[in-house]
Amino acid sequence: MTQTTHADVRGAGPGQSAPHAAQRRSGGPLRRLARALAPVPWIAPATALILFVVIWPVIEMFQTSGQHYDDMGILQGSAGWKNFSRLFAEPDLTKIEIRTLIWVVSVVGITMVVSLGVANLFNKTFPGRKVARWALIIPWAASVVMTAIVFRWMLDPNYGVINVFLHQIGVVKQFNNHTSDWLGNPGPAFCWEIFVGVFVSVPFTTYALLAGHQAIPSDVYEAADLDGASHLRTYWSITLPLLRPALLVAVLINVMNVFNSFPIIYEMTAGGPGDQTSTTTLFMFNLQQSSVGEAAAMSVVNFGFIIVIVLLFLRASKWNTAED
Amino acid sequence: MALSACSSSGGSTSTSAGGDTTITLLAADYGTAGTSNSSQLYWQGIADAFHAQNPTITVKVETIAWTNWSQVQTRLTAKQYPDILEGDAPQQLAADNLLYPLSDVMSASTISNLIPVFAKQEDGSDGVAYGAPFTTSARAMFYNKKLFAAAKIATPPTTWAELQTDAAKIHALGNGDIGYGMPLGPEEAQGESLLWMLGNGGAYTNASGAYDINSPANIQTFQFMSGLVKAGDTEPGPATTDRKVLWADFANGNVGMVGGSGALIPGIVSAGKLTTADYGVVAMPGKNGPLTSTLAVHDDITAFKAGGHAAQIKAFLDFAYADKYQIQFDNEYDLLPATTSASTSISASNPVAAGFLAGVPNSVVYPANANWNSVEAKIQNTIGTAVQGSSPATVLGSLQSFATNN
Repeated sequence: MTQTTHADVRGAGPGQSAPHAAQRRSGGPLRRLARALAPVPWIAPATALILFVVIWPVIEMFQTSGQHYDDMGILQGSAGWKNFSRLFAEPDLTKIEIRTLIWVVSVVGITMVVSLGVANLFNKTFPGRKVARWALIIPWAASVVMTAIVFRWMLDPNYGVINVFLHQIGVVKQFNNHTSDWLGNPGPAFCWEIFVGVFVSVPFTTYALLAGHQAIPSDVYEAADLDGASHLRTYWSITLPLLRPALLVAVLINVMNVFNSFPIIYEMTAGGPGDQTSTTTLFMFNLQQSSVGEAAAMSVVNFGFIIVIVLLFLRASKWNTAED
Repeated sequence: MALSACSSSGGSTSTSAGGDTTITLLAADYGTAGTSNSSQLYWQGIADAFHAQNPTITVKVETIAWTNWSQVQTRLTAKQYPDILEGDAPQQLAADNLLYPLSDVMSASTISNLIPVFAKQEDGSDGVAYGAPFTTSARAMFYNKKLFAAAKIATPPTTWAELQTDAAKIHALGNGDIGYGMPLGPEEAQGESLLWMLGNGGAYTNASGAYDINSPANIQTFQFMSGLVKAGDTEPGPATTDRKVLWADFANGNVGMVGGSGALIPGIVSAGKLTTADYGVVAMPGKNGPLTSTLAVHDDITAFKAGGHAAQIKAFLDFAYADKYQIQFDNEYDLLPATTSASTSISASNPVAAGFLAGVPNSVVYPANANWNSVEAKIQNTIGTAVQGSSPATVLGSLQSFATNN
């Protein structure tokens, strides 16, 4: 199905074989045009959709970043590069960029390690595997906002179940104290947010890797077994290399997902105190309350950042050969 | 649902064949949408009564929750102007040349009935009034008499030093109770901060109205607040704690003292933990004595020129500012009226409101500078860090430079 479509598109397009094919088959220029336009009804809806939901917002974002809106949202004319110069003059920006890097690297890194283990486990047969596989879906099926709010409540300095438990085992001496206020201090708060980030990312990653596991033919393992390879050696030399496509997809999707993640930090600390737990995504939102233009400038920077990451990543991983 | 919302906000000019006019009213919801205390019902009641008297004018009511208030900004960006907006201050909109002067949309008798303390707050940079206060509230300190008794404190504090001692005693009770609730989270940090600044003779602006956020007095104030936090006399993370959280904690009996307005009372009633005898309301303590003039805040009515309905808006606003409706609103939400006649009549009937109302005539109000909205958003987001780790001079200094450069 896909292949025939590809062939049609190529044949009608400006590719090498197109002129020959067209000459052989068609009578006049009108028919040639009709043939060239033949795929349009098929690709037009998808193209229109992409233009509408992807390209248009991007154009709007760039436009907004060059405009000056006052604090009631009324357009006051062009701002030139002022939104960008104000953004780069923000004293907290460097710290926020570094924190964003820590956020992405640690959430994705921990998620990948945990998921590799869980996927390997789920690929083996053990009693209750079905239940375990289903159970892992729950953090994924639940709304991220809900998960974040539940964690915020569990960490409440006065009533939170985590604090009640820590109080009972004697770690937290008194409620409503600095020791029980996990989300009020930037350090512990950010660690908890990373934990929740991993918690909601592991299910998808595990299932992506599990699918990769199941695509590895069993005869490769049999051959390794015959050659007397140890379990560790088998995992390192067979499983991991053959998991590469799945790993790449999982890492790439996670990096973008985690970088753009908004609800976890927003619900748990809203980026506060001040901007001390903000990533660039949160900072963009908080800026929008005082300056829409500057927030748009921040999102242009974020957009550029993610494009660069994706390009670097595709290059480093030689995406095309990996997929072939 | 979404479609109807779009169409009602977009159509500010709709004159049907019979000469009937529809004007749109966009208001903040002080209750919960879809329940019996939604402001939608309040305004619809007025609109229906008004329509009965003026059959040629229909008022289309729409309310938006305060938590979604940024939708209003989005609509203004999209040039979907209502005829009447209740909620925002007029300065920026007046500077954008979008508003009718107040005298075009309200008759002189209604204007002269407005509480005068807010009058300056309604002026644009040209000295002409572009808005009118609709609802107001005044701040005082609530304290929990049960906790005070348990901590053997005889009288509520009047100075900062007493407040600190009392808060420490309540915290020392050891049940996880909060001595003084200091909500410097994004919800209302600007209000709590100003209450403290006033206690040391400071404010956001100086006598001539210029921003003076990092004045020595204000820095000293935040150093004192920072000391309270460090000593554990407040909740642990003030910079991320919102007022609604502390109000709920106070209503549950876990907070010794908290700044509040009448709007805290319904929460206390519905929690059912404290009776009227269990809490008291006093003036906010200052450095050397209680505040003589407290903070009063108000939400405004403004009228947009885009629809060209000055006459109809005028008729409706004169109708809606009747004492009956002012009092109905205040009883519903425990807020205070914006007119002198309604204040007089509510003072006679409602002792709690009377206590708060007594402070309104000589109260302090937020700055009326054109960029106050932006500055306020910045304050809400960052001022809490001044009591929690960062140096007050740095935090207030960067707020001052934001306020003067934007």
